[in-house]
Amino acid sequence: MRNLIYAIAFVAVLAWSAQLAQASEFVHISGGEFRSVIPEAEGDNLIAVDDFLVQDTPVTNAEFLRFVLHRPEWQRGSAVSLFVDDQYLATWAGPISLAPESGPQQPVTQVSWFAANAYCESKNARLPSWYEWEYLAAANGDMADARHLAEWRQDILSWYSQTGGDQIADVRSEPANYYQVFDTHKLVWEWVDDFNAFLVSGDNREQGGADQLQFCGAGAISMEEKENYAILMRVAMLSSLEARYTTRNLGFRCARQGGVRQ
Amino acid sequence: MKNRTWISGLASIITLSTLLLVAPVTLSANDNSLPPQSVYNLQVAVEDQLGEITGLDRYKGQPVLVTMFYTSCPHVCPMLISTIKLTESKLSVEERARLRVLTISIDPERDTPENLHQVFQRHSVDSGRWSMVRPKPGDVRKIAGVLGIKYKQLPDGEFSHTTRIILLDRDGIQVASTDQLGRPDAVFLEAIRTSLQ
Amino acid sequence: MRWLTIVVIALAMALAACQPQPAGIESGEANETDTGGSAAGDFGPPQGEPIMAVLTTAPNVPPPVNRDYPAKIIVDMEVRELDLEISEGVTYTFWTFGGSVPGNFIRVRQGDTVEFHLKNHPDSKMPHNIDLHAVTGPGGGASSSFTAPGHESVFSFKALNQGLFVYHCATAPVGMHIANGMYGLILVEPPEGLPPVDKEFYIMQGEFYTVGKYREKGHQPFDMQKAIEENATYVLFNGSEGALVGDKALKASVGDTVRLFVGNGGPNLVSSFHVIGEIFDKVYTEGGTRYQENVQTTLVPAGGSAMTEFRVEVPGTLIIVDHSIFRAFNKGALGMIKVDGDDNLPVYSGKEVDAVYLGDKVMAEELSLVSDVTQAELTGSATKEQRVNAGRVLYNGTCSVCHQQDGKGLAGVFPPLANSDYLMADKRRAIEVVLNGLTGPVTVNGSDFNSVMPPMSQLNDDEIANILTFALNSWGNEDGEVSSGDVAEVRAATERPQGAAH
Repeated sequence: MRNLIYAIAFVAVLAWSAQLAQASEFVHISGGEFRSVIPEAEGDNLIAVDDFLVQDTPVTNAEFLRFVLHRPEWQRGSAVSLFVDDQYLATWAGPISLAPESGPQQPVTQVSWFAANAYCESKNARLPSWYEWEYLAAANGDMADARHLAEWRQDILSWYSQTGGDQIADVRSEPANYYQVFDTHKLVWEWVDDFNAFLVSGDNREQGGADQLQFCGAGAISMEEKENYAILMRVAMLSSLEARYTTRNLGFRCARQGGVRQ
Repeated sequence: MKNRTWISGLASIITLSTLLLVAPVTLSANDNSLPPQSVYNLQVAVEDQLGEITGLDRYKGQPVLVTMFYTSCPHVCPMLISTIKLTESKLSVEERARLRVLTISIDPERDTPENLHQVFQRHSVDSGRWSMVRPKPGDVRKIAGVLGIKYKQLPDGEFSHTTRIILLDRDGIQVASTDQLGRPDAVFLEAIRTSLQ
Repeated sequence: MRWLTIVVIALAMALAACQPQPAGIESGEANETDTGGSAAGDFGPPQGEPIMAVLTTAPNVPPPVNRDYPAKIIVDMEVRELDLEISEGVTYTFWTFGGSVPGNFIRVRQGDTVEFHLKNHPDSKMPHNIDLHAVTGPGGGASSSFTAPGHESVFSFKALNQGLFVYHCATAPVGMHIANGMYGLILVEPPEGLPPVDKEFYIMQGEFYTVGKYREKGHQPFDMQKAIEENATYVLFNGSEGALVGDKALKASVGDTVRLFVGNGGPNLVSSFHVIGEIFDKVYTEGGTRYQENVQTTLVPAGGSAMTEFRVEVPGTLIIVDHSIFRAFNKGALGMIKVDGDDNLPVYSGKEVDAVYLGDKVMAEELSLVSDVTQAELTGSATKEQRVNAGRVLYNGTCSVCHQQDGKGLAGVFPPLANSDYLMADKRRAIEVVLNGLTGPVTVNGSDFNSVMPPMSQLNDDEIANILTFALNSWGNEDGEVSSGDVAEVRAATERPQGAAH
């Protein structure tokens, strides 16, 4: 009898830890100051980021599936078109079933900002802010800020040099970065909470010529660090989106605590 | 026995009512009468210049002009409001009576009902048809998302934001918008007239 | 008397007013008139049914507009990010308008209203937009066409100015989008159309920056540092090295009038556009309205264009180059026009230009023989016959200049390879000679030679193996085979002199 109990306990622990291995964890990121490509005001791009927690991988298909099982109003076909476009979860086989090309450990894509936000809220979390994301993503395997390294930039640019129609890899396929966070680059684009705060022109030939009437306050802000193509392209990507858009190469991860810039 | 049943019945009614009243706001509606593209599918609460709390759909059933602003905005936001008033003045009295205006703050921390009321009075707008409201801080980004408005808070407390006036029809569907300030946009005006018919 | 003075003065004034006008250079008119620019380019609202634009892939051009009223033209263009071959065995991820580099050619008439639909394929990783230099309006359309993957934007513009205009993507970072091939041409015809010609072709130059070296095999990513330094790896016409050579060469016949719509997408380099063997009768410099006559080489600015016209009078192959010449021979800026028809000996008495002129370059139509054997090498299955075939092509491109196509050499100057005792005696020595050159007295088939053969260090192991195998099996030489391994061994063993051949 005791052996049976031990056996059951063992299997239970195994199953539980297997579950854990699949799920992403929240990792603590110590805050600090850094130079962003998006200045707060013209020429002022030294940004302070508070401590925050962030998921160590993008949200996976398995995790998002569990979410829509509990929240049927976010299933494909039920979600209102104000909040998602017609490609929402298009790679899934059905509203509550995955397909070979949308494996459980792949990052969930074809999700809108509203859907991502709803998922994070359901976990008592939120989307990271752009500055939090940029701070986190500046790291490589060895250091917190690797952006000055030509190899770092070229490595990221090489992802853009591949076409997007290929199968997306599973999360954690590449080594973690300095913060033990995976996949900030070379897997999918990611939503941030303030994706629509980029009052920069997507056409970077217009830098500096702000249309005062179009943008109140400081006006359309020029991007700094123009050689940092890898980050500039991410800004261009996010600024092309509306909150209800979904795309094949766009996913998200959640964050907690820390400052959320309005 | 009889008393206990009566009390527990009352208790459950009270609990149920309270629950319904304090129901957590859900993002998406299962309200079949609302078209899927209607902005009113975003069920968030807003507080107006008199402190009254309603949903975003307070003017459902009438065409509404919507914009986002903040009260300490030095330059452009007053122009936004003036432009709306100017646009309204081009309508006939009957047309204007059917039009509503909703201005939503992107700075709910500082735009208290008192501050909103001051701006309301300063511009002498028609209290029967206009509301200036603030959402909950966590809902500002969602409202901006459905309206397609971009904004960013600056270190000095000011905001950078796109200036856009949006026309919603009676069901809350966005049918037209304009970025033109200072003078009425003829095409936008035409769309307003059509929606008022 | 006073009356006479008045008449004389009046006559003088009248004569003064009748100064002969400078010879008109447009359409042979006596008076030079401006087109009036954009102010005179609005012919009113579009008439008739909307027309779907005919979009073509380079080097083809849509037919002339052939219409005398302004219309609405609907352009439906899709952006696709694709892996395509940039050179033999080398692939690159291009970002394209319409699936090709350059993008589709658009042809409209001045005064037309263009309704532009820009679609971004769902597989795209990047957002894209378009700036057409023909557009009068902010960003040339860029701000109105910024499109996320899986979405479509629509905007309209009126083509107020006539001319040949570049279009390109203008999404940040613009340099990278252009460097990946996002450019093309839009022709806005003058209201009366262009004078008819027999052949029209679309050629667009652009350079590419890859991490690997020129022709380094495999999939090559974009190299941002090289792009900033303007250190191009490839300079190409129409997006790939083989785009206009061999069986993809442009074709014309003796007597044809040919018009080239030439664009330069850049992103950085200016082109010195020249067709070897022809003179441009007319060049509409920078794609504008006036033409210059009798031009050998014309500049095409980055982000600009030119229209050239000429009449072909003799048969043969004309070579299209960027006359910044290292780009033509070392980076791929080379194309061909094959002209067929009867000889015109009084105009040109010589023979085919290819083999000699190209020097070290190989005629790419037979390059497939070379690539076949290279492929086979990789799987270890290269046959002697493949080597001989490839070797013949390579020999003709490189060695025949001196040793002649029949292998007989030149008496007293270049030793023969045909029936050569020297060649057949020692295979390893033969490899050494090709790799390292040969100076000093040597006796071949009983004759003495004392000359200088430069080292052929620009050839790789495959190429030398193929050439020698070919030589050992031709012109009476009995037999023999040289493998790339043999050559590699010799190469490793010998001191390499610096510098290459001719």
